Amino acid sequence: MKKRHISLSVNGVAHELLVDPNRTLTQMLREDLGLTGTKHGCGIGDCGCCTVIMDGETVNSCLVLAAQAAGSEILTIEGLAQGNQLHPIQQSFVDKGAIQCGFCTPGMILSAKALLEQNPAPSEEEIRLGLSGNLCRCTGYQKIVEAVSDAAGKMKGGAS
Amino acid sequence: MLLPRFEYHQPRDLSEALEVLGDLGPGARVLAGGTDLLVDLKTGDASAEHLVAVDRLAELKDLDSAGGSVEIGPGVTASLLASRPRALAGLSALAQAAATLGSPQIRNRATLGGNLCSARAAGDLIPPLLVYGATLVVQSSRGARQVSLDDFLLGGGKTVMEPGEMLSGIMLDALPPMSGNAFMKLGVRRAMEIARVSAATSLTLAGDGETIARAKVALGAVGPRALLSPKAEEVLLGQKAGEELFATAGEAAVADASPRTCHEFKCEVVAVLTRRCLMQSWAEARGAAS
Repeated sequence: MKKRHISLSVNGVAHELLVDPNRTLTQMLREDLGLTGTKHGCGIGDCGCCTVIMDGETVNSCLVLAAQAAGSEILTIEGLAQGNQLHPIQQSFVDKGAIQCGFCTPGMILSAKALLEQNPAPSEEEIRLGLSGNLCRCTGYQKIVEAVSDAAGKMKGGAS
Repeated sequence: MLLPRFEYHQPRDLSEALEVLGDLGPGARVLAGGTDLLVDLKTGDASAEHLVAVDRLAELKDLDSAGGSVEIGPGVTASLLASRPRALAGLSALAQAAATLGSPQIRNRATLGGNLCSARAAGDLIPPLLVYGATLVVQSSRGARQVSLDDFLLGGGKTVMEPGEMLSGIMLDALPPMSGNAFMKLGVRRAMEIARVSAATSLTLAGDGETIARAKVALGAVGPRALLSPKAEEVLLGQKAGEELFATAGEAAVADASPRTCHEFKCEVVAVLTRRCLMQSWAEARGAAS
């Protein structure tokens, strides 16, 4: 397999890497860049644990080749907090007890971020649909939905 | 789950993609959104020595409607289709199907062309394009040919495409005035849903606003491939639109579904979904008339 030379931006930092053609974006983020906040779950696009935001849209990073991400801007869960200041969605997840084992949390929060950017004041139904590509193995959906609703309220003032 | 080994090619434009595909032959697969192909490669349901990535090719993402015809690039994503872009105004069934395909993350990557080329029996975007009578442009480095979607699908995930060929365009006639169309599917929850049964219908009313001048009914997941129902169409044509007629058309559609896969429960669902889709198409057609 001929390695590919790619450059891309992850959480605002430019990276240049040599990757195998069959390396997924999940593997590249976790193993090459050490960003283990992105989780590897099912590997076939069902669970959403590996969700990252690629050029403004959520994707299952297990179903994107690292080579396909060349030239893209990637946002992972590590890129949300400003220093020690959690992003409002992260803070709401803490405040509302929306984290149980935590494995689905990074993907849930990134899906919530993409949802709130498109729809700053979603209904409960819209939140559930917006998070429908993310599974919580602890089944703690109720508090997750409450946290996103709480974050939407806090972010109305323009915080992002 | 790990991907097998393959070589990766990223052509800069369509003609380079066709050249690369022509040179590589049967061991090469076209990689668009990857939401089917990469899964199949991981599970071993597909194999490829070479992947030719076309997800960045701008030529495959055009939307155009002019002079009563509509052209859709196969590279457009389900998310874009679900957002009801202006060029696709009136194609409600396609937008509805795209909005319920997979999950938000899947819709951001999955393409129309990928859904057609995967050619699955439950492929969500296929029934709408069947009722629109879509024609596909299949291209290779040697030239292009046009195939109706109905002829393109061979069943069991197979299509008429040969090694070295790829889908480069989707063409359809814009629906006439006083038309409506709709898509519905039955699944167990409202996300990541593979249709148990799906239906798409379109209706065009005659000048009197009541008589059905044109009708199409397509069904998904009731046989080895999505199919049109000529029997339902026959029931509808020339008749006055109404719920009773639509119920009869639903019963007729059952007869066109494949008996081997359309067991008792699915037959019931075919009849109900067809009737409901026709009701929704009718409401839209009347809305367009007023």
